[in-house]
Amino acid sequence: MSNFRIAGKGRVNRSRQVRFSFDGVDYTGYEGDTLASALLANGVHLVGRSFKYHRPRGFLTAGSEEPNALVGTDRGNGRFEPNTRATVLEVFEGLKTESQNRWPSLTRDIGAVNDSLYMMFSAGFYYKTFMWPKSFWNKVYEPFIRSAAGLGKAPTAPDPDTYASRFAHCDVLVVGGGAAGLAAALEAGRSGASVILCDEQTELGGSLLSEPAAEINGQLAWDWLEDTNAALASMPNVTVLPRTTAIGYYHQNFVGLCQRLTDHLAIVPDGAPRERMWKVRAKQVVLAQGAIEKPLVFAGNDRPGVMLAGAARTYLNRYGVKVGNRVVVVTTHDSAWHAAFDLAKAGVEVAAIVDVRGTVPTQLVSAADALRIKTKIGWTVTGTKGRLRVSSVRVNPVGAGGKVGGAETIACDALLMSGGWTPSVHLFSHTQGSLTWNEDGQMFLPGRGKEECRLAGAGKGRFGLKAAFEDGAAAGAAAAADAGAGSGAEPASYHVEGELSFTGVTGRELPTDRDPGHAKAFVDFQNDVMAKDIRLAVREGFKSIEHIKRYTTNGMATDQGKTSNINGLAVASDALKRPIPAVGLTTFRPPYTPTTFGTFAGYNKGALFDVTRKTPIDGWAEENGAVFEPVSLWRRAWYFPQVGEDMHTAVARECKAVRTSVGMFDASTLGKIEIVGPDAAEFMNRMYTNAWTKLAPGRCRYGLLLGEDGFIRDDGVIGRLAHDRFHVTTTTGGAARVLGMMEDYLQTEWPDLKVWLTSTTEQWSVIALQGPNARKLIEPFVEGIDLSEGAFPHMAVATGRICGVPTRLFRVSFTGELGFEINVPARYGRAVWEKLFEAGQRFGITPYGTETMHVLRAEKGYIIVGQDTDGTLTPDDAGLSWAVGKTKPDFVGKRSLSRPDMLANDRKQLVGLLTADPKTVLEEGAQIVLDPNQPVPMEMVGHVTSSYWSAELGRSIAFAVIQGGRSLQGQTVHVPMPDNVHSATITGMVFVDPENKRLSA
Amino acid sequence: MLLANHPLLGKTIAGDKTSSLTIRAAEDVARFSLRIDPASAQSAGAAFGTPLPTRIGGLVENGGRTALQLGPDEWVLLAPVAESDAIAEAFAALQEPHSLVDIGHREVGILVEGEAAALALRSAIAFDVEAMPVGSGCRTIFDKAQIVLIREDNNRFRIEVWRSFADHVWGLLQAVSREIALGI
Repeated sequence: MSNFRIAGKGRVNRSRQVRFSFDGVDYTGYEGDTLASALLANGVHLVGRSFKYHRPRGFLTAGSEEPNALVGTDRGNGRFEPNTRATVLEVFEGLKTESQNRWPSLTRDIGAVNDSLYMMFSAGFYYKTFMWPKSFWNKVYEPFIRSAAGLGKAPTAPDPDTYASRFAHCDVLVVGGGAAGLAAALEAGRSGASVILCDEQTELGGSLLSEPAAEINGQLAWDWLEDTNAALASMPNVTVLPRTTAIGYYHQNFVGLCQRLTDHLAIVPDGAPRERMWKVRAKQVVLAQGAIEKPLVFAGNDRPGVMLAGAARTYLNRYGVKVGNRVVVVTTHDSAWHAAFDLAKAGVEVAAIVDVRGTVPTQLVSAADALRIKTKIGWTVTGTKGRLRVSSVRVNPVGAGGKVGGAETIACDALLMSGGWTPSVHLFSHTQGSLTWNEDGQMFLPGRGKEECRLAGAGKGRFGLKAAFEDGAAAGAAAAADAGAGSGAEPASYHVEGELSFTGVTGRELPTDRDPGHAKAFVDFQNDVMAKDIRLAVREGFKSIEHIKRYTTNGMATDQGKTSNINGLAVASDALKRPIPAVGLTTFRPPYTPTTFGTFAGYNKGALFDVTRKTPIDGWAEENGAVFEPVSLWRRAWYFPQVGEDMHTAVARECKAVRTSVGMFDASTLGKIEIVGPDAAEFMNRMYTNAWTKLAPGRCRYGLLLGEDGFIRDDGVIGRLAHDRFHVTTTTGGAARVLGMMEDYLQTEWPDLKVWLTSTTEQWSVIALQGPNARKLIEPFVEGIDLSEGAFPHMAVATGRICGVPTRLFRVSFTGELGFEINVPARYGRAVWEKLFEAGQRFGITPYGTETMHVLRAEKGYIIVGQDTDGTLTPDDAGLSWAVGKTKPDFVGKRSLSRPDMLANDRKQLVGLLTADPKTVLEEGAQIVLDPNQPVPMEMVGHVTSSYWSAELGRSIAFAVIQGGRSLQGQTVHVPMPDNVHSATITGMVFVDPENKRLSA
Repeated sequence: MLLANHPLLGKTIAGDKTSSLTIRAAEDVARFSLRIDPASAQSAGAAFGTPLPTRIGGLVENGGRTALQLGPDEWVLLAPVAESDAIAEAFAALQEPHSLVDIGHREVGILVEGEAAALALRSAIAFDVEAMPVGSGCRTIFDKAQIVLIREDNNRFRIEVWRSFADHVWGLLQAVSREIALGI
């Protein structure tokens, strides 16, 4: 196996070998390697196939901006991740990786036929090629395109990892740990400010990691770095977060950081989260994100072995890896020359430096001469060869007037390019900070900001180490001062030796002697967008860069155009013959780099996905075989099947038990609000439709609550405990909403009322005992309350004791049977339940769930707000006019009830329905028509809201809302369902015991 | 008397030894929500037997009785369970209009103690827990659950949470404790 590792170079730990695999082949690397550096050390450049044309691709970069080298990673135990950038993936013992988007293999990929069909896949091919026939779209074109073009495969197994999150507040957040960021953090740290410094890489240092020869204040770069790391670690007010990417910058200096905790570990401790989302609220932010090198746009610039010069320099200096044995450099910028020099000094043959510029700083040329590197100043690159790896480069002189001369071919196994550097202004852009075009540097620079934020170093176009240090130090000191820390002392100054020249021009597509209309000159490597695609889009009428982006997909891939935006813009600007700022810039959006869904979810997966509220009696229900259903955040016992019972049988048995003896039901989820104060009754009068003044303490009333619009919002039984104290119940799902609505009125409309509201939903466990034997069952356990019919009739409430604990006992019924709702302090709920269950055995007491509760109430015509109402029913629509206090001066919604539309005869009204076939149970939500033979679309006059099998009646029953329904009593309507059209008769809503005799049995 | 029960009864999360983070269910207490015009706070304090704090977030602890001001006219009162009836009677005699509602069973108390206590809470609380003054309290959100948070000491916090939300808070604290024990 080839070895491209260079002795004595790099920061990887040569004493710790790491074995890993790529596409089933085993390789070794060192601790500290990325997958990219480790594969390059083994001579592997070919790592993927491109998105659309399946062209062989290698590493373009050495950082998070990588568009090409996306791999699938397998960490074992179902931990599979597609599209991981090999340039940031740290290798560890046992890591398994694979290439993507190729079949049957990376070297022989059938999909590469797309490359010769490239005319078919030009800009906008989605919209043009596959237009007809329409029916082919879903079945043929889209599946074909999706499988042929694309990225890695999404994992199919559930993610076994856990994720964490943490909030942090600090004076100064520094994003980026390169020269500028380190200087800023040192300055802010020394001032005493609380500082968070985050960097996406494994270790701090940024470009210093690739520049060991630089000297800072008399120290070699890596020695300085070591001391700086130690200095930061010694400051208790500084938190350093490596492997942490600032992914988004939101309002009021809120920054999201994604910290990778365990992906680099061979052995992950049990229960350790994979990643943590830091949610940082910083008083001041310093953005020191550095700059990203631009590729050059020329034919064949995407072959494996063609990469950015700065990346090659990083592989050499940081990882001790040469990217080839014979390299050619093509550039418009000084920085690539330094890569060539470093490689040459390390013993790599540099066949030529091709600089497109007409003139180049003389010291670069003499340095090249000293290293015996051939230079071709004023030359261009017009093509490359090599199927799976670049093998030669075609170069031509550019004469006066831009005339391109005859070609020469230079053999090489790596081609390094540099088109200059683009400041990373992504996070600044997230804040809607304006960007201004810098014509000299051909780059967008931060303009006016909207947040408490400053940029430093290369990220704002201040290139060079000394500039970065001093700019960073000044920013750090100023940020600390603005955050209220710091002494106002002068920021430290930095002396840098070995500063590299850093001039260049940002070119357009390189000049060529061939037809640019046929050049495969890539702008966006990940989305396979070529310069000619952008020109085509312009020819087809697209003028705005936002439109060009969407039409060509330039800059839309997971790398968000980090290497392609400016080049794409330059090509578009040329084609449009308008200056770049007039063409505009697409918007940067979070996240800065691809971020796992898990990080966003944080702890909220599995059992912690959401709150599951359980009542004090829930455990008993679980132990006794209950089937549960979710009701708002609660889980409630739905029914209690016995062995061999299905839901239908269980519910029929539970219903029968309540109607014939006694059933028990956990009603603890009912919302409860305690309303206390001298103005309690007045408040009740204003909120509810009913009249409350005359309700005597010890009595209950059904309360109906409307919105301002006059529509039903909630209902419940309300007990008056004392002159100044009401115990209000609400629907389970409405509890929080009703309390909020009441508080809203109290605080904004009626602050003068002396009344206060307290949620007591969870103070009380509520056991509903319903059935003719209910009283007999509880009598022996109740102290202090006379339960006789005369003393404690239907709709009475009293306080006393039951089973030795305090109770608020309600004589209420949601079943039509004699019934009680026993409120006991929550911690005693289960014990009282168990005691009553045990004592009830002699009556055959039967626990029942929400389904039986629904059936029993429907048999009696009691509505459920939210099921039988949908926010458009007035009290009259629901048949509840009796609950409206007509003589009351006002209540919430009163005025709306007199609007003409609210009094119309053809409003949808709640009615009962009995199907012609008693065995048919209608579907809830089914539509209702008057004439089943009318043409489609039929006129729908209403829908079914509740529908059940009634064991008591031996037939089905239903509620429905129907236009003018109450005046249609006895008429037949039709309910189309998937199997058949069913006919039904409109009836009243009370199906069982219309005289209410059982309530007082 | 019947068996009293709540979701966290007797539960403890033993965290790591170095920061001695421990999380446990607090002993039962009597709890009341008191609503009264702040102008009458003094007479309310007399009824409670402990002066009420007069600043939102303020906490007064005296002889086992604790009063925390949560809003302009809202206090939460904590006391030993055995004193519950006496407190209710004392307020019944208070002339000024007010509302005293027993919420003793509505909530469950959780104690978070140790050097990493604030760090643990930062996983699910958005405001600056580190900056919270000792001897203060507030109503806030813990992940998705409303809680009352009291900082009893630099390294000791008390969470008061509605009982059906207690499992969620507890499960999250368990996950967080694991991270802290692992030092990541």
